[in-house]
Amino acid sequence: MFRLETPVYPAEGYSSRLWTRTQKQQPVTVEIRPHFRDIQSQAYFIVLTSIATFVTMASLASRITNPADQQPSQTDDAANTPVATATDSLAPPQEEGSNSQGLVESHYDVEVKLSDLQNDTHSPLYSVSNFEDLNLPQEIMNGLLAMNYRKPSKIQEKALPLMLADPPQNMIAQSQSGTGKTGAFVLAVLSRIDLSKPDQPQALILAPSRELARQIQGVIQSIGQFCTNLRVEVAIPGIVPRGQGIKGSAIVGTPGTVMDLIRRRQFDVSQLKLLVIDEADNMLDQQGLGDQCVRVKKMLPPNIQILLFSATFPDHVMTYAERFAPNAHQMKLRQQELTVKGISQMYMDCPDQNQKYDVLCKLYGLMTIGSSVIFVKTRESANIIQQRMEADGHKVSALHGAYEGVNRDALLDDFRSGRSKVLITTNVLARGIDVSSVSMVINYDIPMKGRGDSEPDYETYLHRIGRTGRFGRVGVSISFVYDKKSYDALSQIAEHFGIDLIQLSPDDWDETEQKVKEVLKSARAKPEYAPASIKA
Amino acid sequence: MAESSPPRSHLYSSQWASPGQRSTASDFLYEDRNSEARHKALLEKARREHERVRKNAEAEYQDYLRREEQRRLEEERSREEERIRREEQLAAERRRLAELKAKKVEIPSEPVSEPPKASPQQTKAAVLPATASQPSQPTSTSTPRRAPVTQSGGTSTPALTPVKPAAASTAIAKPSPATPAGNPFASAAKANPWATSTKPPSSSPFAQGAQQQSPFAAASKEAKPNPFATTSTTTTPQTNGIAVAQSAATPAPRLPTAPDRYQTIHKNLKDLRKSMLAQTKTNPALKARMGDMRREVRKCVGQLVNGAPGAGQNKTQILNIKGLLREALLNGAQSQLVDPSLVVLEPREPVEGAVHNDPQLPSIFLYMLNIFAKAIISQFVNEASAKPDTADAVGVVAASVFADREFQWRGKSLIDILLAKFRVVCPVVFGHFGNEKFEEGRRQLGWHREGDQWVSEQQHSDRMTGLGAGYAAIALRNFSKSKMSHPFPPSNYWTAMARIINTAPPDISNTQAMVLRAMIQGSEHKFLEAYGNAGLAALRLALVEFPAKAPTKSPYINALAMHAQMLAKETGLRLM
Repeated sequence: MFRLETPVYPAEGYSSRLWTRTQKQQPVTVEIRPHFRDIQSQAYFIVLTSIATFVTMASLASRITNPADQQPSQTDDAANTPVATATDSLAPPQEEGSNSQGLVESHYDVEVKLSDLQNDTHSPLYSVSNFEDLNLPQEIMNGLLAMNYRKPSKIQEKALPLMLADPPQNMIAQSQSGTGKTGAFVLAVLSRIDLSKPDQPQALILAPSRELARQIQGVIQSIGQFCTNLRVEVAIPGIVPRGQGIKGSAIVGTPGTVMDLIRRRQFDVSQLKLLVIDEADNMLDQQGLGDQCVRVKKMLPPNIQILLFSATFPDHVMTYAERFAPNAHQMKLRQQELTVKGISQMYMDCPDQNQKYDVLCKLYGLMTIGSSVIFVKTRESANIIQQRMEADGHKVSALHGAYEGVNRDALLDDFRSGRSKVLITTNVLARGIDVSSVSMVINYDIPMKGRGDSEPDYETYLHRIGRTGRFGRVGVSISFVYDKKSYDALSQIAEHFGIDLIQLSPDDWDETEQKVKEVLKSARAKPEYAPASIKA
Repeated sequence: MAESSPPRSHLYSSQWASPGQRSTASDFLYEDRNSEARHKALLEKARREHERVRKNAEAEYQDYLRREEQRRLEEERSREEERIRREEQLAAERRRLAELKAKKVEIPSEPVSEPPKASPQQTKAAVLPATASQPSQPTSTSTPRRAPVTQSGGTSTPALTPVKPAAASTAIAKPSPATPAGNPFASAAKANPWATSTKPPSSSPFAQGAQQQSPFAAASKEAKPNPFATTSTTTTPQTNGIAVAQSAATPAPRLPTAPDRYQTIHKNLKDLRKSMLAQTKTNPALKARMGDMRREVRKCVGQLVNGAPGAGQNKTQILNIKGLLREALLNGAQSQLVDPSLVVLEPREPVEGAVHNDPQLPSIFLYMLNIFAKAIISQFVNEASAKPDTADAVGVVAASVFADREFQWRGKSLIDILLAKFRVVCPVVFGHFGNEKFEEGRRQLGWHREGDQWVSEQQHSDRMTGLGAGYAAIALRNFSKSKMSHPFPPSNYWTAMARIINTAPPDISNTQAMVLRAMIQGSEHKFLEAYGNAGLAALRLALVEFPAKAPTKSPYINALAMHAQMLAKETGLRLM
């Protein structure tokens, strides 16, 4: 068997190496090197078990060289030296098509022709810089165009060929928030289903909340808008009429409802080819959902292809995940690479709990804000903040567990459409919700977990701030601290992910405004800030 | 008479009811031919016949009316087509003329061979690579003559020489002599009282030259007024998009000057902000208030939401913004007074009935308008970039605030402040173009820089999307039911669209496609409302012919064609 491991760098400045080992102890080093910038810190690994399908794939094969003839010495265990040797190049430096920044910068002074490399179709780098290279059906291409997708993101570029290879193989994929995970698996779903059978469920997507399920349904419908006979249905509480089965080529649902439908034989699973679990760490970890997911899986055909996606995969969940999706290709991120560079993370030092309200309202004058999300701990504070902000002229939606199904849908629709621009919510919506115009996330309360909120909730923090900075846009996250506990919790989070949090103070707003301005400027100017995105 | 005759049975009468079968002879022979029943039957028959004839006649008449109407429409259509064709011809002629002019430009420039000029001209070289190699043109005799004339005008520096021919060319079309038009900017600068701005003009002629090098910009400017200037012939210059903001007195020279003047205004505004900051150091009252006012405006612009028109969902915000501007006008904090000419396109004279006619206004007021404009642009860049439909609410507020007489100066709006910012961040709507693969080209296209590097292509595309949508949101507003007049009427939109569409194929860039699509998407109905069939033709040009003529089919270009398909699919509007 092969074991193959690749560090792949997010965004445009990645440089990486695939290591393989055959049973004959014949070392094969495979290298992917688009361009050589900032290799030291931003690694992300693809661990590929089973190389057989991989090597045959045209898009990646074009980048693979066999260094056995050139560098026979590098045969160490790849896992221990993922990045260290990646700098010496086997392949010529390449320019990443999805982001032409690099070359422009390097010829800064005068007008210089920059795109020699881009135009060179023989350059290995040229491979998958366009959706055209992914060989998708024309209807899907049209859908992507209409949706303003221009170029594939890293996760799409990497994961899609693996997901679409035959025979189908499981996959566990991790990528930062707002980098196109949904787009990636939606493309896989659309490519796998047979449109001539619109009422026969062929792909099942599970998501942790009704909002997310509806959102995924929307994405499938938008990208597939030119596919005739595409039928996508949601299986969430209150939507599927009792006594009536669910029919559609793709079904998106929450685990509980899906399980009920299958048990009642109202959901024909016999021809399901694909099971996608979004926010997989959450879905497999939580007692209730994890249990339900396993039960759903047991009712599905045994040879179904399983795809697990999330921005976070804590170690203890990863072991579950590997059992859940055996033999899977894996794309993993290092802990320090989890945060999105486009999000400027700051914290506001509030004098005390009560002044948080006033500080909150002041924030909206500091910078240009489209929509914003405020995360609070309790429903009560959500309601109070809502009143305060409405008095200040904001159009606010407060969405939390106190509202039931359809009302929640309506509230979120208001926010999505821009009829309200401030969303106050609890952790219900920390994950997955994609409203592209969100430019600020406020942690009004620092996310905590455990008994008596004893420890900071790292993953939730990451998912929360991931509601902004979507698809390479810039965003701001501001966390409120007001006492030692909140300060300590935030410091731990910052340490955990290796973030430099910038302090803001409510004493002199002129000064704070200036500081925010500088932070935003420098965040965007950072060389390593590069959107790993597709959406134009 | 009839009454005397005894009534016949109904059976008979019913027989008469269908008289067609019997012969006339039998009629006479029939014994009860004079019976009342028969009489009635005949009367009935006659009545029916009468009705039939009448109906026929009426139908015929209706038909005639319809045909007449159709003929009229056809005539009108052919007249319109003829007009458009003529205008297109004229546009083409002008463009050709401008091209020739531009080519001729090279001849003087070679002998002059100025080192400082060289850099801006490189763009021209890129645009028209062939120009230098083919200096002699059939028409060249006329233009060289003209060029010397303007030079003899004397005021112009040698640097201006390449520019002049184009300016002169516009002058030819008009009856007015070329001499004053020769260097419009210089004369304008002389006339202008604002002393501070005279320094910038000295540099701007260079920049102006750079802009002028793109002959298509000028040509398209000439061309686009025509299509929608149905009433006026092409010679009237006031149909130009910017006309509203300008006096019609100096129409021809304005075209070349406009873009540079915007850049000057932009710079003046920067200086204004610096001076305000300096003022706060010595004026505590100003310091106490200015920051709060600034943040309040920004917050209000950020709070605007879309909703049903007239629903008043943004009322509070508009009141708030206007309140702040009024506060600034009152100048309670005693900010210095400044001359608003610094931030308008053209010098203005006092106007009867204007709210503000003074030569100076409080600097805090102009500053707040500037902050308002900045907030608008920033909202487009940061929000509408991700969700273009959010631009609409911002556009409504922008147009209505600038249209408000209270915030006008000498009878005209101060929207030039906003346009100056637009000119810098989104030059393609002002007819500028460039090659994205070149540093200089990116600069001309308004590709943003952060620090010392260009933002990524995706960020650029986002920005252009937001700004394109914003431009449409401001310009495509219907003021017909309002007492105010539109500070930036839809003709500007048409102008911008024409400038992009009329770009020569080799010069078409992705940026233009991004902006064009964003300008159109979601604004179709407002555009068609304003321009009707002409708008339809323009949409066809933009979404069908423009992408077709683009040499490289990038995703951005394809997205334009795709938009035509989407329109057909979603609204049934077929442009193909």
